[in-house]
Amino acid sequence: MLHRRIYQFLIVYALGICMLFLVKFALNLSDYVIPSPMEVWTTARQVFLRYLVNVMDTLAVAVIGHILSIFMATVVGIIGRLTSGVGSLIKIAAFNIQAYPIVAVAPIIFILLGDGPASRLLIASMICYFPLLLSVLGVLTEPVSDIEHFYRVTGRLTWQLEVKIRVFENIAKLTTVVSGSATLAMVGTIVAEFIAADAGIGYTIRIALYQSDLAKILVALFLIGIWTSLYLVCLEWLGHLIQKKWQR
Amino acid sequence: MVIIFKKTIPMVTVLCVIIVAAACGYRENPPLDNISYRLKWLFNISSAGDIWADVHGHFQKQGLTVTVKPGGPERDAIKELELGHAHFGVASADQVIRAVSKGSPIVVLAQLFQENPLQWIYRPNKTIIESPADLKGKIIGVTFGGNDETIMRALLAKHDIDENEVELFSVRYDYTPFYQGNVDLWPIYRNAQAVIIGNRLRDAGEQIAFFNPHQAGITFVANSVVTTQKILDEHPVIVEKFMDALLTAWKESMDPVNKEKVIETVHQFDLDTPKEIIGKQLEITRYLTIPSGDYGNGGEFFGKIDPTAWKDTEKIMLDQKVIPKPVNIEKYLKPGN
Repeated sequence: MLHRRIYQFLIVYALGICMLFLVKFALNLSDYVIPSPMEVWTTARQVFLRYLVNVMDTLAVAVIGHILSIFMATVVGIIGRLTSGVGSLIKIAAFNIQAYPIVAVAPIIFILLGDGPASRLLIASMICYFPLLLSVLGVLTEPVSDIEHFYRVTGRLTWQLEVKIRVFENIAKLTTVVSGSATLAMVGTIVAEFIAADAGIGYTIRIALYQSDLAKILVALFLIGIWTSLYLVCLEWLGHLIQKKWQR
Repeated sequence: MVIIFKKTIPMVTVLCVIIVAAACGYRENPPLDNISYRLKWLFNISSAGDIWADVHGHFQKQGLTVTVKPGGPERDAIKELELGHAHFGVASADQVIRAVSKGSPIVVLAQLFQENPLQWIYRPNKTIIESPADLKGKIIGVTFGGNDETIMRALLAKHDIDENEVELFSVRYDYTPFYQGNVDLWPIYRNAQAVIIGNRLRDAGEQIAFFNPHQAGITFVANSVVTTQKILDEHPVIVEKFMDALLTAWKESMDPVNKEKVIETVHQFDLDTPKEIIGKQLEITRYLTIPSGDYGNGGEFFGKIDPTAWKDTEKIMLDQKVIPKPVNIEKYLKPGN
C-alpha cells in the first residue's frame, strides 16, 4: 500500500516536472518563468531541510485539525441522525455552510484569533469538517432495516446500538471518507498559511511567490505530496486494521 | 506496477491537458493589433495615468487598440510578457532585476515613480523616530520575501544597525497588529493605503507619521513600464506610440488642472475608495511621480529613468543576496523608446 501510494505520487510528480521542462525548452522561456533543472536541484539542496520542517509543521496542524473534525462530525452526526427538529436543523445547516467558501471567512478568523496555530487549526478543521459531517450524517441516518428490525421489535434497540450497527455496516465507506478528508485537512492548513499565518509550508510558498521563485515552490510541492501520501497510507492502514478487527 | 500506471493515467492526463493548454496560450509573435497592458496592482491611484490613457482615448489617438488589465498579488507582468499574454506591463524594479538575473529578455521603457511610495507608518507619540538609529529596539513590520524586507534590511545595514537590535514582524494584508499597537512600524504605500489607514487612525484620535527610507538614503526604484527586447526590436514604432500615449496621459493625469476629472476617472475603476480619499491620494502620487512635487517645474520628467537609482537598487539586491551576481541593469534601461 505504502509503495503504491509513493510510486503513484513520484510518477505524477516526475511527469509534471518533465512536462514543465519540456514547455520551458520548447518555448525558450527564461529561468524566471520556469526554472532550469539545475536550478531546481540546487534550490532543493539549499532549502530541503528547512522546507521539511515546515511541511512537518503543516502536517501536524492538519492531523490535529483532521482529528478534531472527525470527532466533531461524529458527535454532530449522532445528534443529527435524530429525526427531531434538532437533527433536521443540523442537516440543513451543514448543507448550507458546506456550500460556503471557508477561504472567504479565513481572513476574519485570522483577525479574531491572530496568525498563530489556532487560526490554522480552525480553518483546517472547518474545511474538512463539513464534507465529513455530510457523509457521517448520510451513514447514520440510513437505517439498516434487516438488523435493526430485530432489536427494535424486541425492544432492545438503544441509540448506542443503532449507531454501532450503522457504523459497522458502513465501515468501509466511512474509512474512505476519513482518508479522503485528510487531503482536505492538508489543503485547508496550507490555504490558511497562505492567507495569513506566519509558519508552515503554505507561508513558505507565499514567500517564494513574492520572490517569483518557482524552484522553491516545486520543492515545496514535492514535500507536500510525499507527506500527504504518507499520511493517507497511515489512515488507510488504520482503516484496514479497524475493519479487520470488527469483522472478526 | 501495471496497476500503479493504470491509476496514475487519469492524473497524468489532466496534468498533460493543463500543460498543453498553457503551451497553447503561448504566442511567440504576439500580434500587436490588440495590445495587452498588464498593470502591477489592482486599479487604484497608482495606475491613474494608465486609466486616464485608456478612458480619455490616448491610445486610440495613436492608432492603437490597448486593453489595460489590472494586476494583483498573483499577477506577474514579466511572466505574461514572456509567455506572450501581454505586450507591455508594469513591474517593480526588484521584479525586473530578479527577472533579468534569470535571463528574462525584458527592457525598461519608463520609470513611473521617481520616489518609491513604500514607507513605514508609526505613532509619533509612542514611537520616536528622528533618525534611522531610533529604529533600534523597535518592532518593525516587513513582508518576508517582499521588497519592503529588502529595503528595510538594506537600511539597517547602511546605518550599522544589527538585525538583532530590531524585531522584524511578519506582515500580511491585515493591519490588526499595528492597530493594536503590537508592532511599532508598519510598511505601507504612502500614496494608496496610507491615506485610508491614516484617516482611520486620525478619526480614532491617533497621531501618525511616516518613516521614509528614501530620506534615510535608500534609493529603491518602484513601478516601471516594461516590454520584451523582441517587441522593442520588431515594433519600435508601436512601442514609441504606446509610450508617447502613456506618458502624455500620466502627465495630464498629474496636472492639478485635471484634478477633479482624474478623481472621477479613477473612482470609476476603484469604486471602494471614496472620492475624497482619491483626492488625497492623488496629491501624494503627484509628489512621488514628479521629483519636485511641483507640476509646473517637474512636468517634463514624467517616466524619466534614473540609472543611478537603478544601479543602487541592483546593489541593494546584490548585497542582500536577492540576486547571485551583478546584472548590469543599466543595459536594460531603454529610455526614449
